[in-house]
Amino acid sequence: MSLLELREVEVEYTRVGRPPVRAVAGASLGLEAGQVVGLVGETGCGKSTLARAAVGLVAPTAGSVWFEGRQLRPLGRRARSRADARLQMVFQNPFSSLNPRRRVGDQIADAMAILGLASAARRRERVADLLERVGLPAAAAQRFPHQYSGGQRQRIAIARALAAEPSVLVLDEPLSSLDASAQAQVANLLKALARELNVGLLLISHDLAIVRHIADVVAVMYLGLVVETAPTRRLWSAPLHPYTEALIEAIPRADGKGWLPESLPGEVPDPARPPAGCRFHPRCPYAFERCLSESPPLIPVAALRSAACWLHEAGGPERAPAAFARRTRLASAVGDQVDRI
Amino acid sequence: MSSPLLSVRGLRVKLPTAAGLVTVVDGIEYDVAPGEVFGIAGESGSGKTISVLTLLDLLPDGAVVEGRAMFDGEDLLRLGPRAMRDVRGLRIGMVFQDPMTSLHPMLTIGRQLTEHVRFHLGVGTAAANARAVELLEEVRIPDAAGALTAYPHQFSGGMRQRIAIAIALACNPGLLIADEPTTALDVTVQAGILRLLDRLRRQSSLSVILITHDLGVMSSVADRLTVMYAGRVVESGPTAEVIGGPRHPYTAGLLAALPHPEAAEDTPLVSIRGAPPSPQTRPAGCSFHPRCAYAIASCATDVPDLVGVDGDRRLACPVDPLRVPA
Repeated sequence: MSLLELREVEVEYTRVGRPPVRAVAGASLGLEAGQVVGLVGETGCGKSTLARAAVGLVAPTAGSVWFEGRQLRPLGRRARSRADARLQMVFQNPFSSLNPRRRVGDQIADAMAILGLASAARRRERVADLLERVGLPAAAAQRFPHQYSGGQRQRIAIARALAAEPSVLVLDEPLSSLDASAQAQVANLLKALARELNVGLLLISHDLAIVRHIADVVAVMYLGLVVETAPTRRLWSAPLHPYTEALIEAIPRADGKGWLPESLPGEVPDPARPPAGCRFHPRCPYAFERCLSESPPLIPVAALRSAACWLHEAGGPERAPAAFARRTRLASAVGDQVDRI
Repeated sequence: MSSPLLSVRGLRVKLPTAAGLVTVVDGIEYDVAPGEVFGIAGESGSGKTISVLTLLDLLPDGAVVEGRAMFDGEDLLRLGPRAMRDVRGLRIGMVFQDPMTSLHPMLTIGRQLTEHVRFHLGVGTAAANARAVELLEEVRIPDAAGALTAYPHQFSGGMRQRIAIAIALACNPGLLIADEPTTALDVTVQAGILRLLDRLRRQSSLSVILITHDLGVMSSVADRLTVMYAGRVVESGPTAEVIGGPRHPYTAGLLAALPHPEAAEDTPLVSIRGAPPSPQTRPAGCSFHPRCAYAIASCATDVPDLVGVDGDRRLACPVDPLRVPA
């Protein structure tokens, strides 16, 4: 069993007077110690909800989350169990996740006091260690968050999460509010943490390019379902799912060659009313009859690789979707295809 | 280059803060040719947005502006409020970063698309509506006629940004200013908007000023670009040359920090040490010198001039460490 394991997790949000939204519709994931798993997808695909379910901030409506061999209990009115504190979260925006009125060092030391990880005398030393670990001077402990830039604040947030001595960190878009140079610094820091502290990282991001530099394994989500998982390099060089292929083709390249990224026609459908059959079929250039009526399960196509697509069979060859003839695009009245000159 | 549509010279902007006036844009200059996409790149706080808001007199009260911005024979920085109203929306259109906030949530798309058309072009409601439908079709909004009576919340982010572009283009402006138009969008949607911008400027002789921190986006649509750091231009030139072979250490650093889709496996991202200064704490001399691996003594004291190097390129670095010897 993996260190952190999500089994067929479903999360449904109920809405007054309207049909419920199944933000996560049965997603499974595993994370090992020291491993970085990237979870990517577009806005509204349910990746943040899945991250919140993974740390127990929302209760799954079905399925289960297992952490260090025990089933994780969603956060209730009582304090989180000490064992579950080894699962920590870092949020997207370090401008709102840090308390503006408390000193950096005090915020980092909280976890040690609450969990009894360090005596009051030892805490200051430990805070200094953590700050250094994330690349900030020990003197930062005496200062306030507003004295730091976005990238530095995100480091402080990471130091605060590390104070609880976690075995797993779940990071929800930790890089997306940062500028390019700060993003690179924090990305390198995350990778180093996984390698040196043997912490498992579940990294939620919409940016496939940055995930490629950090993650060992990537899971791609579309409309509440994991549609492909693979070791990063193989996912990148030969995506199996047409959606993964489209995501990769949409990334602009900073090479000065004037290459226009490919746009994926249509929009992510309303998760409250997902399309029948394969949820991706209205936007898929390879869709055929079966895709309209039957939802493809996530099946192992090759070692360590799974995809949920009728183009592939269990144990079948690792073929890129492009190896199949593109069929006429189905449906999709929403037409930016025309912009594909 | 043929005579430019917009020519900015010695633009300097000071903004009022609690601590007094702070120089945010510190003497920049550039030309935008008719029909080209001109990019302004830089990180947050580099002054790229303020430098274009100045052109449309959209700065907060108390801002001090120096320099010239010649547009069609007129200096935009010297126009009175009335004359400026005939520039905004009519001759220069603008698209903002976040289509969730730049559209009015309580007004129909039709109202937002026709108000300035009726005002500027003096046409009747029927003609303005017909123009609105034409525009929505142009930016590929499905069921354009039906969209006129819909509200912004009924559209996704990408569709809203298309509508915002339609609004900006409604009066056929010669220049479109797009400030981070794709930053709030997913990559697949971003690709659609980039293709739309590219098609629009090919169809008409529209000039575009594209502001973005994303050099990948810049590389796909800009013809020429300028890179800003701490309120100054550090490097400018044709996109293929600047991105293909950066000369300023800052440009090179930004490019190295980017995850590149075709980079070799497992290459760590190379980051620029330190962080960009805030406008209040910009260092003397070249603002980049504390972070620069190639800095020499004079970098700490002398502000480098932006000088022409290799034809169309300009560079503000006396060291020029990345020059490829001929």
